[in-house]
Amino acid sequence: MSEADADMASQGSDPDDEGLSDSSYQDYSDEDINDYYNYGPDDMEQDDRGQIFDPEAFEYFLFNKEEACQFLDERVAELTQTIQFSPQVSHTIGKVLLQAHQWVLTEVMERFREDSVQLMVDCRILPPPSRAKQVEPPPKQCPVCLQAQEEKDLLSLACNHKFCTDCWQRYFQVQVEDGVATGVECMWSDCRLITTEDFALSILKNSPVTLRRYQQFAFNDYIKGHYQLRWCPGPDCDVIYMAPQPLGRKVQCKKCKTCCCFRCLKDYHVPADCPTIESWLRKCADDSETANYISAHTKDCPKCNICIEKNGGCNHMQCFQCRYDFCWMCLGDWKTHGSEYYECSRYKENPNIANESAQAQAREALKKYLFYFERWENHQKSLKLEEQTFQRIQHRIKEKVMNNMGTWIDWQYLLDAANLLHKCRYTLEYTYPYAYYQEGGPRKKLFEYQQAQLEAEIENLSWKIERAEQTDRGDLENQMDITEKRRLTLLRDFSES
Amino acid sequence: MANIAVARIKREFREVVKSEEAAKCNIRVELIDDNFTELRGEIAGPPETPYEGGKFLLEIKIPETYPFNPPKVKFMTKIWHPNISSVTGAICLDILKDQWAAAMTLRTVLLSLQALLSAAEPDDPQDAVVAKQYKENRHLWEKTARHWAQEYAEAPKSKKDDEFYDKVSQLAEMGFDRHKALTALSAHEWNMERATQDLIS
Ligand SMILES: [Zn+2]
Ligand SMILES: [Zn+2]
Ligand SMILES: [Zn+2]
Ligand SMILES: [Zn+2]
Ligand SMILES: [Zn+2]
Ligand SMILES: [Zn+2]
Repeated sequence: MSEADADMASQGSDPDDEGLSDSSYQDYSDEDINDYYNYGPDDMEQDDRGQIFDPEAFEYFLFNKEEACQFLDERVAELTQTIQFSPQVSHTIGKVLLQAHQWVLTEVMERFREDSVQLMVDCRILPPPSRAKQVEPPPKQCPVCLQAQEEKDLLSLACNHKFCTDCWQRYFQVQVEDGVATGVECMWSDCRLITTEDFALSILKNSPVTLRRYQQFAFNDYIKGHYQLRWCPGPDCDVIYMAPQPLGRKVQCKKCKTCCCFRCLKDYHVPADCPTIESWLRKCADDSETANYISAHTKDCPKCNICIEKNGGCNHMQCFQCRYDFCWMCLGDWKTHGSEYYECSRYKENPNIANESAQAQAREALKKYLFYFERWENHQKSLKLEEQTFQRIQHRIKEKVMNNMGTWIDWQYLLDAANLLHKCRYTLEYTYPYAYYQEGGPRKKLFEYQQAQLEAEIENLSWKIERAEQTDRGDLENQMDITEKRRLTLLRDFSES
Repeated sequence: MANIAVARIKREFREVVKSEEAAKCNIRVELIDDNFTELRGEIAGPPETPYEGGKFLLEIKIPETYPFNPPKVKFMTKIWHPNISSVTGAICLDILKDQWAAAMTLRTVLLSLQALLSAAEPDDPQDAVVAKQYKENRHLWEKTARHWAQEYAEAPKSKKDDEFYDKVSQLAEMGFDRHKALTALSAHEWNMERATQDLIS
């Protein structure tokens, strides 16, 4: 079975996402920003076939073990067939060469053409030339069990360090017990040569149990070592992802439904890239105590001081007592959160900080981190709360349908809206680690602008969904279009390609 | 599995006993039990080091998977060395971990430990306090290591070493445990005040 026959899992985001209306691009009126902004409503990037460029499009396949095995074998065959020079490379040595180069075929071939002996030495198949010359007298005993052995019963790798078959066998058993397979070395002290799969096979031919485990571990090593392959991180899942271009993009397992980033296998995280999200998550874990006090579910109304509990995802709050509209994040007037002036997501750095004392700088660094952390965490919480909204909507639709107020199809748009909200807020959450590590300059300005626009529209969408039954369907659908378009625009401009 | 470990140890045992180094009293191995799973090693402090003239005892435990896995070795004699814990005697040495090879023997291990006493690797420390002193105040480290060897490894004493003895004795007379006093002084550059503070807290 070739890779083209394999199960094609995804070719980017849903086709429904594409019918975006042009009207949503009208309010880029900020002159300062327009200078940096290259995409108008009519020049969204299009590819040769005239389709709108989808920043989340990602080609990948889902393999089972057999398919992955075959995929690996095909790569090895490709290598051994292409290398027609001497020395001939066997299938088993081809595997070692590829494994040592993350299975990047072109790199192995290039290095082979340059200096095949050096390549074999570097991949620990041949001993360094300086050592190969030492001819040692044939040993009368095996250096491991220290028992006398006949010359014919001793086995060695290319280094000529000979050991008896029994010792090799026990050695492999211990190594396999520890989960080592592709890295099993020669038993001689300071000899780094590694055993090939064929060698292991010949040693373990009479121990089927150990052999089977050896092969499992070796296979696992190859999957982990291959730049285009990943094990699905789902619990006890044996699906293998294959991406021709191994990028930090979203993949989803059809078997266990796990959804993650292909490259780092963490939760999908665009626009942040893999190293960014790794540093961010490490920082959050290290500083979790500092940030703990933020986790509040209640705040006081900034106007009448009554205690308000947040039980929805929307950050546009309205006080139930005095009707004041305010922002949950910054407690500012919501009027200042219109999409044109939305400033709540932008951190204003002290421009003179370089001249301040070390202590002031440390305080500023902490303030900056907490600013981004607070927003990151708040959107995470909103996502959870909006899941409840989703359940509630589902429940309400059921009721309506039961009371003959339309069919499921009539109300489907509400669920679509809630799904879209989730997708948009998820991306928004990950814009905060991105912004935290982004260096200042015009790119950052543009990013913050787009982030603010996205956030404003998301809160509008959330507000409308929470009041779905009072909201006009056309109005809601228009809001959906605007919000998704903001999201795609940001990703198009800022996720790595 | 156990059979090969025992057979190997028996052969190795003879190898060490008959070796040149054993003849020169540099290394020794003794049996503790009849199962060959526990042994006692001994190495002489190498010349021109603070350990010269000392005898260092080692606890050697042979795992069932020996020689495919390394023996478990630690110092029983207390020692002041960057790669050996001054508290537990645990050793940081590559061949006792991932650089072990089945063709290595107890003799290799003992000679490697002796080499470690001659050349510490402070960048891969087991005891951070010792390693810091080794890097920042080599002279004081040497004197401290020498003192520990005299105190615990029967290394010969000389007149000029009296200063440290006096300090330890002073603290011992105040009622502190002698070894604790020595450890506190060693960790605080032999400053009486700070060592006392450390002992009280
Ligand atoms: Zn043998
Ligand atoms: Zn070898
Ligand atoms: Zn899965
Ligand atoms: Zn990633
Ligand atoms: Zn109020
Ligand atoms: Zn705000």
